[in-house]
Amino acid sequence: MPQPSSETLWLRVERILPTVVKPGRYVGGELNQVVKPWDTVRTHIALAFPDIYDLGQSNLGLAILYDILNRREDIAAERTFSPWIDMEAAMRNAGIPLFSLESKRPLADFDILGVSLPYETVYTNFLNLLDLSGIPLYSRDRQGEHPLVIAGGQAVFNPEPVAPFVDAFVIGEGEAAILDLVDTYQAWKESGGGREALLTGLARIPGVYVPAFYAVDYHSDGTIQAVTPTHPNAGSPVTKRIMAELPPPMTNFLVPNVEISQERVSIEIMRGCTRGCRFCHAGMVNRPIRERPVEEILSALRRGLDQTGYEEISLLSLSSSDYSQIIPLIEGLRGLLNERQVNISLPSLRIESFSDALMDQLQTLSPGGGFTLAPEAGTERLRQIINKPISDAELMNTVRSIFEHGWGSIKLYFMIGHPQETMEDVAGIVTLSRAVLAEGRGIIGGRARLHVGISTFIPKPDTPFQWVPFEDPEIIAKKLSLLHDGLRGAKIKMTWNDPHASLLEAWLARGDRRLAEVIHHAWQHGARFDAWSEHFNLAHWEAAFEAVGLDPDFYSTRPRQLDEILPWDHINAGIRKAFLIQDYQWSKKGRIRPDCRQGCYACGILSNFQDLRTAAPHGGWKCP
Amino acid sequence: MTQPEAITRVRVLYGKGPSLRFIGHLDLQRLWERLLRRTRLPIRYSQGYHPRARLNLASALPLGFVSDAELLDFWMDESRPLADVQLELQKAALPGLTIKEVQTIDLSEDSLQSQMSASEFKVTFFDPQVEEELKAMVNALLAEAEIPRVRRKKTYDLRPLILSLSVAALEDGQTCLEMRLKAEPGATGRPDEVLDALGFDSTQYLVHRTQLFLSPH
Repeated sequence: MPQPSSETLWLRVERILPTVVKPGRYVGGELNQVVKPWDTVRTHIALAFPDIYDLGQSNLGLAILYDILNRREDIAAERTFSPWIDMEAAMRNAGIPLFSLESKRPLADFDILGVSLPYETVYTNFLNLLDLSGIPLYSRDRQGEHPLVIAGGQAVFNPEPVAPFVDAFVIGEGEAAILDLVDTYQAWKESGGGREALLTGLARIPGVYVPAFYAVDYHSDGTIQAVTPTHPNAGSPVTKRIMAELPPPMTNFLVPNVEISQERVSIEIMRGCTRGCRFCHAGMVNRPIRERPVEEILSALRRGLDQTGYEEISLLSLSSSDYSQIIPLIEGLRGLLNERQVNISLPSLRIESFSDALMDQLQTLSPGGGFTLAPEAGTERLRQIINKPISDAELMNTVRSIFEHGWGSIKLYFMIGHPQETMEDVAGIVTLSRAVLAEGRGIIGGRARLHVGISTFIPKPDTPFQWVPFEDPEIIAKKLSLLHDGLRGAKIKMTWNDPHASLLEAWLARGDRRLAEVIHHAWQHGARFDAWSEHFNLAHWEAAFEAVGLDPDFYSTRPRQLDEILPWDHINAGIRKAFLIQDYQWSKKGRIRPDCRQGCYACGILSNFQDLRTAAPHGGWKCP
Repeated sequence: MTQPEAITRVRVLYGKGPSLRFIGHLDLQRLWERLLRRTRLPIRYSQGYHPRARLNLASALPLGFVSDAELLDFWMDESRPLADVQLELQKAALPGLTIKEVQTIDLSEDSLQSQMSASEFKVTFFDPQVEEELKAMVNALLAEAEIPRVRRKKTYDLRPLILSLSVAALEDGQTCLEMRLKAEPGATGRPDEVLDALGFDSTQYLVHRTQLFLSPH
């Protein structure tokens, strides 16, 4: 089939748009969109988020890359997202390939396809996106004329389950590596070399992982015998890229024409977290802590409001109350909110870093509404094991302060399925929740509301719990029913994740390269939008494991040995394995690892990035 | 506090181009609020924790349509020279939205919606139409005493809502349709309903709104 020109392609698209839900997702044309005449730039990059526009356009990471790339005159970066089920059917029916929102060009016309993989449940959508673009799914089947397929995001700290589909991964912070990658691509294109030469050049870039240059051998029990680099440029390990300091934030956010999940000026105030919760992937892989100065944040918020007209601002970080300048920042925000007639969505705050001074300040910003707290586990004992050592008294003090400051509702987040969790720990969630609501009733009466959110613990790579078995789904079901029974009649709203969806995430999060075949099969069976409960179907996946001949329990409920080679061991997230082992062993004794801003525990960040730290301004980072 | 006499009501005539044709009425309202926020004009906001710009759109334009003739009113706390207002709006406008004219309006005037009386549309077809065939279809439809239609599970008669309907030619010689439909509160004709009655589905045509008619009470 000859490739249609963008004009005739668009005429065909326009005819199917009236037949689909929310067609505004597929037309682009938003304020602050960047469109460059196709022939005026040297390199065309399609940035893809493998879920619908409503979610993808809300993603700050992709917006940052879009901005960085489009600042270069010789590069055009355009966007594409997964079409919703109805649009996919209409496109396939009309023979319309996936296209970019800016130039309305088929993705196959681009030099590079950059895919964001923020979580594992987008993997089937990723394959679908390649298929809709007419790009071969497997890297080994791509030829010179096909776009280079690169991927990055939080999920690719374990790239292995999708390794065969990706030509090159960017490990760590994409903003640090993306231009190196484009430069290498441009030099390769100039040289007229073959695809192998391109991969060879890319493998030389720090933080870039080219999976084709590694061979994986397995023991007969299915565990890994060795991961061997097969090319001189293939580093082992591949160490993540990070920014020495956070650059001034981008503010020219694209303003969507149709409603999406996040419509606000979002400024990242701090990256990284040093609390060391043992279950937390983000807290481990995003080290070290880098803060933005208050003045830079405030001026970025003002500029963002000017450029978008948004009515809401938001501060992003893993734990905003740990931001060292939180009080001055809030004081500055108060002036901004009054001046601009805008609201703020409250950032995430940690229970133990609440103070009355902070509450007093927050009250002036956002009275009313609700507050979210994450004790994560029901008893003090278990909270020590997971290294989130908040005492019941601390939690109750914070809760009291929240209600006393006039807020009417609290949301508590818990996980079940933690290592060493007993039924008593789960019952602790019930006791604690009931006590929190009673406290609120005592202060503000019947107006007090409590929402309890329950998710299932999923062991993640690069955390101290990476060796821990995922809990047997039958036990999870028992724990959930204990919670349902315990909270019944308490006027507490409880929401929970589907344990089956958690099971999928558990398989994929710690999967090896052989899982690529499983993902491929599941997609062929019809799996897509696995992150959407109305589309997720466990049967597709069970059939896929069956077809490939792999045991799903091997990936989820099997305990890993400490000396086992893990599928992601050749990817260095900056944390030493010896540190993770020590921390895991401490957890078994209930030993706490204090916040490392007080004292260094040699997690590996400083030894891995000594030079960068020297380059960071005013001592940078919050490492002691 | 702002002096009441300083409050100004501004009416904007604007166009909604092809790149915005799949943006619905509620979304458009939000886009206008943000457009107004991007200007440096003294926009009048509601009180409370979630201040909203006060604005009033004349008539919802159905999804998929383009228009040269949309009307919107907004309010300012202080008056500004109209030329400045127009310039500020143009600078803040999003792609596809064109500011054509601004004027000040008496504060006591009724809301735009309640003044609506009719809308005029031009319909072009993606596939060329034979003029004579189209004329015959139009004449047949107009000859009906009643055109019973069902919309949102309600039966109504489309015929009295059609004020005029005729076949015309575009500059490039292509055949198009022109129609004027009643647009009173509670009695609004939709071009897609007329087109459906003629036997066209939504993938076959593009509707342009060319004029709004107000009848001040």
